[in-house]
Amino acid sequence: MRIGIDVGGTFTDVVGIDDATGKIHYAKVPTAPKSPADGVFAGIEKILRIAGATMDAVAYIVHGTTIGTNALIERSGARTGLITTAGFRDVLEIGRVQRPAAGLYDFTVDNPPPLVPRELRVEVAERVGATGAVVTPLDEDDAVRAVAFLKDRGVEAIAVSLLFSFLYPDHEQRIAAIVRDRFPEADVCLSCEVAPEYREYERTSTTVINAYLTPITRRYIENLEVGLSKRWGDVDLRIMQASGGCMTAATAKARAIQMVNSGPAGGAVAGSFIGSSAGEDRLVTVDMGGTSFDIARVTGGAPTVTADGKFQGLPVKIPMIDINAIGAGGGSIAWVDAGGALNVGPVSAGSEPGPVCYGRGGMRPTVTDANLVLGRLNADYFLGGEIRLDVERAREAIATEVAGPMNMEVEEAAWGILRLVNAHMVKGISVSSTERGYDVREYAMVAFGGAGPLHAAELAFDMGIRKVVIPPYAGNLSALGLLVSDTRHDFVCTVMKTARSMDAADLTARFTKLETRAGDQLQREGVDRAAVETQWSADLRYEGQSYELNTALHRRGLLTAEDVQRLADDFNDLHKKIYAYSSADEEIEIVNLRVVATGRSPEVMLAGRDGGTEPAASKETRTVYFSEEGIACSIYERDEIPVAARLPGPCLIEERISTTVVPPEADATIDPNGSIVIEWGGRAC
Amino acid sequence: MTTKPNTTFKLDPISMQVIRYAMERIADEMGYTMVRTSRSIIIKEIMDITCAVSDSKGETIAQAHHAPMLLTGFEITTRALLDHFDEEDLHDGDVIISNDPYKGGQHIMDLQTFTPVRFDRRLIGLVASIAHHADMGGATAGGVAGGLTEIYQEGLRLPMVKLYREGAECDEIFGIIANNIRVPEKTLGDIRAQASANFVGARRMKEIYEKYGPEVVEGCCEMLKDYSERRIRAGLKKIPDGTYTGVDYVDDDGVRDEPVRIQVNIHKQGDHAKIDFEGTAPQAPGNINCPLATTHAAVYYALLCVIDPHVPPNAGCYRPFQVEVQEGSCVNPRMPGAVAARTNTSQKIAEAMMKALAQAVPAQVTAGSHGQISTCGFSGFQPKTNKRFVFIDIQGGGAGAMATKDGRDGQDSHLARFMNTPVESAEMEYPVRVERYALIPDSGGAGQYRGALAPRRDTRMLVDGISFARYGDRQAFAPFGLFGGKDGAMGRFYLTRRGEEPVRLKSKGFDTLSRDDVVSICCPGAGGYGDPLGRNLDALERDLLDGKVTPERAVEDYQVVVDAKTLRIDRAATAKARSDG
Repeated sequence: MRIGIDVGGTFTDVVGIDDATGKIHYAKVPTAPKSPADGVFAGIEKILRIAGATMDAVAYIVHGTTIGTNALIERSGARTGLITTAGFRDVLEIGRVQRPAAGLYDFTVDNPPPLVPRELRVEVAERVGATGAVVTPLDEDDAVRAVAFLKDRGVEAIAVSLLFSFLYPDHEQRIAAIVRDRFPEADVCLSCEVAPEYREYERTSTTVINAYLTPITRRYIENLEVGLSKRWGDVDLRIMQASGGCMTAATAKARAIQMVNSGPAGGAVAGSFIGSSAGEDRLVTVDMGGTSFDIARVTGGAPTVTADGKFQGLPVKIPMIDINAIGAGGGSIAWVDAGGALNVGPVSAGSEPGPVCYGRGGMRPTVTDANLVLGRLNADYFLGGEIRLDVERAREAIATEVAGPMNMEVEEAAWGILRLVNAHMVKGISVSSTERGYDVREYAMVAFGGAGPLHAAELAFDMGIRKVVIPPYAGNLSALGLLVSDTRHDFVCTVMKTARSMDAADLTARFTKLETRAGDQLQREGVDRAAVETQWSADLRYEGQSYELNTALHRRGLLTAEDVQRLADDFNDLHKKIYAYSSADEEIEIVNLRVVATGRSPEVMLAGRDGGTEPAASKETRTVYFSEEGIACSIYERDEIPVAARLPGPCLIEERISTTVVPPEADATIDPNGSIVIEWGGRAC
Repeated sequence: MTTKPNTTFKLDPISMQVIRYAMERIADEMGYTMVRTSRSIIIKEIMDITCAVSDSKGETIAQAHHAPMLLTGFEITTRALLDHFDEEDLHDGDVIISNDPYKGGQHIMDLQTFTPVRFDRRLIGLVASIAHHADMGGATAGGVAGGLTEIYQEGLRLPMVKLYREGAECDEIFGIIANNIRVPEKTLGDIRAQASANFVGARRMKEIYEKYGPEVVEGCCEMLKDYSERRIRAGLKKIPDGTYTGVDYVDDDGVRDEPVRIQVNIHKQGDHAKIDFEGTAPQAPGNINCPLATTHAAVYYALLCVIDPHVPPNAGCYRPFQVEVQEGSCVNPRMPGAVAARTNTSQKIAEAMMKALAQAVPAQVTAGSHGQISTCGFSGFQPKTNKRFVFIDIQGGGAGAMATKDGRDGQDSHLARFMNTPVESAEMEYPVRVERYALIPDSGGAGQYRGALAPRRDTRMLVDGISFARYGDRQAFAPFGLFGGKDGAMGRFYLTRRGEEPVRLKSKGFDTLSRDDVVSICCPGAGGYGDPLGRNLDALERDLLDGKVTPERAVEDYQVVVDAKTLRIDRAATAKARSDG
């Protein structure tokens, strides 16, 4: 058996897979905000009880934690010092100068302050030039002084980020040795290890975040290990990364940054898995919860990964699943502005007080309230009836806050709220796809999260997406994603040479060096060296461009001049595909080399649903709105729909944790894995 | 894709918002297309670009979130275009290019491209992309220079000509451009990126028409403009009636060593206002003249910031205003006045607007900021390949303090919204070495809220014969403080020749550099807001510990007693010193 355990804001979700039988167990326990580890222990106990298993039968546990994410949001990380090249300690604060987009006309919106105040940023005399040659040797006395200064100021962690360290790491490594020698209790993070790529601000920011989070995540993991071992002896604990892979707990202690934003990654990995199981390899996954709408893209069976991410306004140059989050969710508040226009969000009622219909003190109408008023949610069957929704209160709030000021009927106003939040999400998906150069109409959609299945079909229809997949257990999907994830590590080095001047033997040597590091790393994490799979790729661009395209090498091993040429050709093709032009006669630069190393986890087999021939029976009929006019609509219970039964829209499919809306033009079926598949049959889309 | 949505769209405020999102999406998608397909650093890293969608009357409906300087004056340009062409000459797939400051343009380096959009054969609007290019020919690379006096020296000036006809490139126009610029392979690539953005925009606009129908789209766009107008008028009503005047100065025009006065007069009454420039200097011989489109941009920018920063920025926003700019002044020059350095002037217009509005709505303005972008152009030949390079380095400065907060150190402020060039990018691409990139202590004006510190960048030349052209400003007139806040530091350019002492350079000028010469760009800081004695002592102590404020200046500006060793403030001694006066 394997266990995935994902700590969320309100609940800790647990999934246990019995590989012998293919049976999947699910459990939910309340998150212990003060001490999340206790929630983890409780969750493990519960899943073992449900599965009737003992820890002896558990091969490993994969854990998704928000401890790093939260520390960054709350700015509660360690007191951190930064050592830089002389003359550059303010790079971290100056950043890229540009105000945030939201501050275009609004002076009150600023870039976030740096994680390390100027007082704790120290310079050392040294300089490496743009070719990697030493211009000024490291002044060791200076370095010793810098470390002593930071020790004296009481820092817990030290980030070291020197110019061009990605070409010449020796100075950073020497400083690390000095820290270990003179200040061994400090955590030290080097930019040449955390993010060895060019662009000093982004690299420094990434390194600083890693240092800032290392002490607290390390302590959390140690604490977890102690607790697990006290209860169950030896346990193989793995930690989820934002890249969609996992790593051993031992590795995770030094790679705090790789855990940042790993929660949504679990969802994207699971969405990718379910979509692929439904026979689609090009997918847009959408995860709509209470406050946020997360969009990811899947090609070739895996979510796309970027090294160009940002979190909380700070650059994070490590491979992360490319998730675009927009502020729209079930809790988004609808309000009429001074000019008389309706707006939805960005303010959210969150889970506390939550939508008006929860009856927990929320007074402002939300998207969930609109869904309820329009008959799309069942007041008596929300979370399986755990919370009784108050329709009257929701109606009243919409009447007072929206319908009244806009001189509309309540249903019309509620329908307006849905149209608007949908338009907002459509805009998010479209802009996100253009930014990344793909056409969503060639993709299928996988929708999950509490509110995803309510909105997915209408979003898809609006954008010309022809197929929507609603996974089983759409509310526990992130935890399933943990178990689908493979052990993974990413290695990068900056080269900065033209493809024409790149010697194939040199390229092979550089890749081989990364490959060896990758093999060593995974071996340390218990993956048999022979079972390590690696992928080689390079970030290429036309000379003078400043953004690169990651281009896969078609093979590994001893590379020849033809392979280098093939790489250049593939880049030209990719460039044409994404940017609508290519220029084969232009000089191509090889900027970075990347090696992704994967140790595969055992495949997850979804227990197939039994086929049935009897037609599905609706459990009731209710008035549901698909426009300003309500229509009579059949309601089905998800677990009672036989596989392969065809349900014509309009209908609703209810389950404990979510409701799927099938609009009038569409049909729904249940596939053998238990996913709901919505399609627009023969009808033009 | 032909489909009718499952909702019957009608003209209501909700449809209006849905159409608004759809139109904003077009502008955003165009912006991303341009950034992703362009070649040069000035577009990809610096993002000195923007995109917009307008209706068939040339009125703006939506804009991408990039540089406001290129946005708010946009209608001057679209109207010039619709005057220039007969409607039947505007075809699908055309790309019209223009950079003529005397025909609705900004400066020569800003290439504006427009694509007409037709639906059922009828002209329904224009999509436009605007980008600042690294070079458009002329006397100096990137048009960066002081001392130029005529538009003819500033580069290739394109009237409104078709660069693409119905989707096909016009080789002749491309040829003319290629022959007149220094780095054609990059610039032409960037121009094609603009065209790609336009084609994406045009396609999307048609899709929206197909989906919702012309009546709904156009009706909603009219509603949207009315809505923005309503919001601006509502905001204006809250501002006390009266005439408010603000004055700022451009240090000099790069030719004559005398200040250029910028005066704005805002006559506000009820829900509308008239803005004039009575008292502003006449057209200057140098290149700091500000073309009309830029002047309008600066005025509207300041008004939107103060009145309603989050209003949908479309044509309706401008209706409550009447902007009068006399021809022949430095804010509406006559041919053949030079305009390349107009950013110095436009920023001062925005600053003068802030000063004027400070009298009416003190809580909604910022103190003086860097007010220019220290534009520097380094150009020469690569040592190994002997290929020409043009490196345009622009630096922000400090953002002014407000009634509620300090200026964010080293962050850009009004109008331009751009990124710096990473040190490592610059050094890998050009024969230079940056030796320092740091905040300048004490460059932020003291105040209850402190003005932002400015950055300093020192760059060493690694080859001989690099030409260094520049147009900086705020080196003679400091970023102003407000309501008792002190002025911020002025900017400076220094040149340290090998083995010599640093020499201060003129803010606008041109020099040839040798190997190992070091150029120091010290940007201007920003003004403080409110009485420095009202500053929270914890915040001041933080500044002392961070070395952002020196103990000497803390004593002088804030009248505190500081322990020189620990940099802590002695609160009791401070209270006593202050009460003793």
